[in-house]
Amino acid sequence: MLLEVKDLNVSFGGVKALDLSEFKVADKELRVIIGPNGAGKSTFMDILCGKTMANGGAVSFNQQHILGKREVEIANLGIGRKFQKPSVFSRLTVFDNMLLATKMPKGVFKSMFFRLSGEMTDKIHEVAAKVGLSEHLNKLAGNLSHGQKQWLEIAIVILQEPKLMLIDEPAAGMSDEETYKTGELLLELAQTKSVIVIEHDMNFVKQIAQGMVSVLVRGKLLMEGAFDEVRNDQRVIDSYLGRSNAMLEV
Amino acid sequence: MNKRIYIITSLIFCISRLLGQNTASVDELVKQLWKGNDTTKSNALKILVTTVNTNVFPVLSAINDKSLYEYQDKLVTVGPKKPSEEGQKEMYSLVEVYPEGKILTENNQTIYKNTSDLKEIAFSRADRLLIAPLVPYLNLVSPISEKRKLAYTQFQGSTDSMAVPMIQKALKVETDPDILRVGKETIYSVLLNDSKDPKERKLLIDSLFNNWGSNTESILSTYAAAQPEGELKTYATQKAKELENKHTVLGVFQNLFSGISLGSILIMIALGLSVIYGLAGVINMAHGEFLMIGAYTTFVIQNLLPKSSDLFFWVSLPVSFIVSGIFGFIIERTIIRFLYSRPLESLLATWGVSLVLVQLARTIFGDLTAVRTPTALTGAWEIVPHLMLPYNRLFIIGLSLAMILLTYFTLYRTRLGMQIRAVTQNRQMSACLGIQTERIDVITFFLGSGLAGLAGAAMTLIGNVVPDMGQTYIVDSFLVVVSGGVGNMFGSVFSGLSIGFLSKIFESFFEAVYGKVLILVCIIIFLQYRPKGLFPDKGRIGED
Amino acid sequence: MKKYLTTDNIFYASALLIFLVLMPIGNLLGLVSTNTISLWGRYFCFAVAALGIDLIWGYTGILSMCQAFFFCLGGYSIAMHMLLAVGGQGVYGAKIPDFMIWNQVTSLPAFWEPFHSFGIAMILALLLPALFAGVFGFFVFRSRIKGVYFAIITQALAFGAWLIFLRNETMLGGTNGLTDFKSLLGFQLSEPKVKLGLYMISLVVLIGSYLLCNYLVKSKFGKVLVAILDSESRVSYTSYIVQNYKIAVFVISAVLASIGGILYAPQTGIITPGLMDVKSSIEMVMWVALGGRGSLKGAIVGALLVNYLYSLCTSMFPESWPYILGILFILTVLFFQKGFWGLTELLESKLSKKSVGV
Repeated sequence: MLLEVKDLNVSFGGVKALDLSEFKVADKELRVIIGPNGAGKSTFMDILCGKTMANGGAVSFNQQHILGKREVEIANLGIGRKFQKPSVFSRLTVFDNMLLATKMPKGVFKSMFFRLSGEMTDKIHEVAAKVGLSEHLNKLAGNLSHGQKQWLEIAIVILQEPKLMLIDEPAAGMSDEETYKTGELLLELAQTKSVIVIEHDMNFVKQIAQGMVSVLVRGKLLMEGAFDEVRNDQRVIDSYLGRSNAMLEV
Repeated sequence: MNKRIYIITSLIFCISRLLGQNTASVDELVKQLWKGNDTTKSNALKILVTTVNTNVFPVLSAINDKSLYEYQDKLVTVGPKKPSEEGQKEMYSLVEVYPEGKILTENNQTIYKNTSDLKEIAFSRADRLLIAPLVPYLNLVSPISEKRKLAYTQFQGSTDSMAVPMIQKALKVETDPDILRVGKETIYSVLLNDSKDPKERKLLIDSLFNNWGSNTESILSTYAAAQPEGELKTYATQKAKELENKHTVLGVFQNLFSGISLGSILIMIALGLSVIYGLAGVINMAHGEFLMIGAYTTFVIQNLLPKSSDLFFWVSLPVSFIVSGIFGFIIERTIIRFLYSRPLESLLATWGVSLVLVQLARTIFGDLTAVRTPTALTGAWEIVPHLMLPYNRLFIIGLSLAMILLTYFTLYRTRLGMQIRAVTQNRQMSACLGIQTERIDVITFFLGSGLAGLAGAAMTLIGNVVPDMGQTYIVDSFLVVVSGGVGNMFGSVFSGLSIGFLSKIFESFFEAVYGKVLILVCIIIFLQYRPKGLFPDKGRIGED
Repeated sequence: MKKYLTTDNIFYASALLIFLVLMPIGNLLGLVSTNTISLWGRYFCFAVAALGIDLIWGYTGILSMCQAFFFCLGGYSIAMHMLLAVGGQGVYGAKIPDFMIWNQVTSLPAFWEPFHSFGIAMILALLLPALFAGVFGFFVFRSRIKGVYFAIITQALAFGAWLIFLRNETMLGGTNGLTDFKSLLGFQLSEPKVKLGLYMISLVVLIGSYLLCNYLVKSKFGKVLVAILDSESRVSYTSYIVQNYKIAVFVISAVLASIGGILYAPQTGIITPGLMDVKSSIEMVMWVALGGRGSLKGAIVGALLVNYLYSLCTSMFPESWPYILGILFILTVLFFQKGFWGLTELLESKLSKKSVGV
């Protein structure tokens, strides 16, 4: 198992945001997490990438405990994160955004005396082509459309060459066509690394959920299973009830 | 002041009767002092001095100080100075020295004159030397309390028991408890130095101890040191030691009080800063200038209202609040509202505002002005001997407490407060819920600036009114806000008091400057563990 | 041909022509007064410090309000050396500086000793601020104190340092500061030729600092700095230790400020704690804001312009300077966030659009 979570709990000011007794992701698995708003999905990712501190429990990644480690240490271990709200460097060009992300020594002096190699340029161009940003490499990231920013952030995560990618709502703000392309990209990435995706869009989930889907409700893991199994489960339907039943419709 | 003069006059009458002097002839002699020629002047003075008539002590004292004048056919000397105004000549009130001492008035207004406008009645050096033997006693009945105190103190350590009856007479009419204590201390110490009887000495030591004047400790230890080994020496040493311990304990309380006092000032300033930062994400560097505006408002009102009354101060409290509030309102509408949620930019822009306001004050008011402290707030409350809690400081502590309660009430018990808290937590959501966020901003800014103005009015009690007075406390106030947790009222109160206390504690060990530096080090260490202050925002909002 | 006529190139060419050629030659010919030369020499020192502020504030978004303190660390270091180097030439002919005699000090305090040597004084002038910024930065950035918190803490630091330098017993001259320097490395400071020399050195150091900063900004290091301004958390998630970059840029800016101070003290002949109070640091930030935050040329232009304006205003209407500065401050923050340099770029792009249209 690449990622193992045991008895993880997080609370904000007395309110339990997350209470996971067990959660596992295998190597090269694509896992989708769904659940109603406030179920703790993003919080879970925040814990995995070191943004939020857990109150208790254990998370091991690649046989190493990561709770209490800082963001950089976790990133170095091989976890990359794409946020729900795209977080890119808006004052830098798309190329520079990708260059900063690319895997290499990242100390202060190394950065001061860094020389761009052709090999690295090629790699960036290759990834840019993958996410459809080849023509925008010299544009400022702040001037990209919302969907393009999502892709740029995915590209940033790819260039970090992580073992596990945490992708939070990649399809938000994308057209159907773009969403489909994103799905294809994620499936391709899952060939070589593990990917956890949080998503609300059930069409998109159906496209990418070839393995297991986990359902989080009120901080707890409600069930895990194949997409069809999950979609027809009465408990899952109940948990979405009263919010928007349509979300489960495909 | 009039009361004081009255007392002195009655003292003079009382003593003169005791000495059985003929007042009529004294009148004659005094008249000769200023109407006669040089020879008659000298003679009259000689007789007045040799008869030791306390009735004419004020006259003699004035001659000795070379400040005896004639003004409108009256014999006068100069009294308290007029609160000075920039660039003017020094003006003094006039006190009649004989036959009765009173401050001269015209249409119920105190007359102020520069000494150059008065006709001085001069005496030769030789004449003045005649008074010399009496000089130590002259000031015992001086109208100025510091002079009286000093006059008593100068007898301490003397062994001349002849002075005692004179001191006792003067003390009979003394009303100031502090000086009364000094006087008694003086009598006891003179008697003690003079006494040979062991029993009496011990009694005198006890009396000194129980009286506990400010010099008692040193009088006792000096006395003990001069004594040969024996019971008396041990006794005096022990009593001196006891007093020293008492002083140490009182010192702690005094420090505590200063700490609370400093803390309240910081809280008064930090409250507005903190609420505004929480609400609008604006660091207002000009906040100290609202304090300055409040202080100048007080100054202006003082000049507008009758000089004799203390009404101005009580009027200026609400007016300062409103005037500073209006300034805050104007600045919010014209500048700060464009800077919401850009704390660093707002810091710079408001610093520009502060520059302009300070210079404006300098242009209008000049460099230094002062506000009179109302009589009700002068002096100090002496809870136990030697523990002085000045009324002006007590007032500031009280005002700050009132401000805290008022802010608490507004924020947590009113509809407006609920809206302010709502906007503080989530501006967009509040707007969606129908709260007019702009209105809330304006009101909060008005209140926050007003509070600073009120603080400014109070600050006139403890310092001068100067254009850059706002800067004195602003750095410390920012530290209070930062270590309390930005936007949190309780945090500000708590850290304000802590910083106040710590400053005073450090100051009692080190120089004030190093105390300040130590405080800073403490805050940096504290922020290592609580980077967002004592009471940080909780939850998942607030990350970049 | 047109390509060479960019704002940048006009800037470089005219700046070099005026300051490197015309002014010195003018001075030698007696057309430009030595006073003016000395004045501009000092402005260059401010500009060097402004470059540092632009790096940390303009590029990285960290508002440091203690740069004037670093400036003074440099200034005081060289001032101490100059006072010691002329030992025995003071009013009292003593081996120790005159102000110590006023304070009834008979022997030189131990911490003054190293400043006898020019080399050690220089090393200390650069090392002290670097060390200070490094250690202070380590603790502050480690605990993720940032934004307003950092600004306020550094402001308090500047305030504390100012108080300490004001004291007489710290043996730094108290309120009066250090003054009455006679010579530096054997050159008499009062001589016009030496003044011109210092002017040239300041200018060369400014150019050097500019080139260095320009290299840093264009390097990957500079890009990380901008990235920190944009999204600090994203920088962390891409494996950069943000804290180290912040410390680095803080140290660099501190050293640049100190270099400015080193060159400044011999040219003014006096250095006082008044130069490092809370106001001075904010004013330095203001130069950069007015000139153009996030543009190195803007920082230089800002420092030169504001100080030139200051000299102009104080000689003509001394009372008005705080009004002018305050209002400039407000207007810049409100309306011209890119400052003067941003304005010229805006004009340039408008002009070029027009010419394209034609």
